[in-house]
Amino acid sequence: MGGTFVITLREGFEAALILGIVYTYLQKIGAQRHYHYATRGGLLGVLASIALGIVVTALSGPLLDLGPDVIGLAVIFVAVIVLTWHGYWMRQHARAMTGDVQKKIDEAQATHRMWVIGVIAFTGVFREGAETVLFMWGLLTQATSTSGWASALGAVLGLVMAASLGWAIFRGSRHVSLQRFFGVTSVFLLLLAAGMFSTGIGRLEVMGFLPGTPTAWDTTFLLDDHGILGGFLNGLIGYRARPTVLEAGSYLLYLVVAGTLLYRSGASSPRSTTPTGRVPAHAA
Amino acid sequence: MRSAFTVLIVGLVASLVAVGAASAADPRPEIALTIDKDQFQPAEIKVKANTPFTVVVTNKNAKPIEFESKDLRVEKVVPPGKTVKVLIRALKPGTYAFFDDFNKAATGKIVAE
Repeated sequence: MGGTFVITLREGFEAALILGIVYTYLQKIGAQRHYHYATRGGLLGVLASIALGIVVTALSGPLLDLGPDVIGLAVIFVAVIVLTWHGYWMRQHARAMTGDVQKKIDEAQATHRMWVIGVIAFTGVFREGAETVLFMWGLLTQATSTSGWASALGAVLGLVMAASLGWAIFRGSRHVSLQRFFGVTSVFLLLLAAGMFSTGIGRLEVMGFLPGTPTAWDTTFLLDDHGILGGFLNGLIGYRARPTVLEAGSYLLYLVVAGTLLYRSGASSPRSTTPTGRVPAHAA
Repeated sequence: MRSAFTVLIVGLVASLVAVGAASAADPRPEIALTIDKDQFQPAEIKVKANTPFTVVVTNKNAKPIEFESKDLRVEKVVPPGKTVKVLIRALKPGTYAFFDDFNKAATGKIVAE
């Protein structure tokens, strides 16, 4: 039971984190009527995960040999793109959002396309969803009837726990000022996207499409990224216990490039009163 | 939501093309691996070092397995009766262990030389 609990909690955490941020964002800009973009995106992510799990289990053929790998990669890189875009947008508006807040909010709703929110929610859920569905299905069919129920219960509890954390983020950040929320979450999304980018590059490396590089460090003994705390840090900032040089390098590269893009003009702007929010724990 | 799907589909197609082009340009040797009655056959696979390859895993068990290797950083579920391809990077000479994550007693290794 403990095993499945940790798995679904770990896999669900990142999705819950992203959904928590996305709903809070909509609430902050007074766009509650657009909640359905996030809800539909998330639900579609769940349905797509289950559908892919069923397809892989029931069918076979050349497309299915590598199809799930390709879909997985596509989802990761699409997620990186939409998160960067959204982070950039938030950063721009965090700086501009002094003065007439309501006017700025209206402008935000008018200029920011809400479907981006839907894509973020979808990729956030679907990214780990299909693999989790397959793994859980495999695990459940292994178990004898009694421990099978315990495993299933553990999996459900893990998901409930992850969802509660997402809800806590939503509730907890209701009273954070709009500007501060934008400032902190833009840092957050930057780290999250850096972790995803590094994961995508790592997958290409593992499959041999990019040159293999040695392990940069191994801190598994200290903090395993398959454990609860390590898993949280993995979802939060892309922590890896045993990354390759290429993975660690691409994480840094993303941070430098996207960070420059987001903060270049911010550093010199006297209007920038946003805390840099280097400690991601603020928003959690 | 139409634009959202456009972005997703463009991303998907781009990746398909990229992976397709990459695998066409680089025909990898395929190595068959079967698991039957919780035994990997062959239990030891010999491959050429420094050359990417594909392991074609066929699961003849009546239950799913997860082909996993910490050394290769690979994990992939294979449903019963199904065959799944696992792309493996070019390996330095050495021994790389793999196992079934659902039944850790089933193990094997890849020897690159």
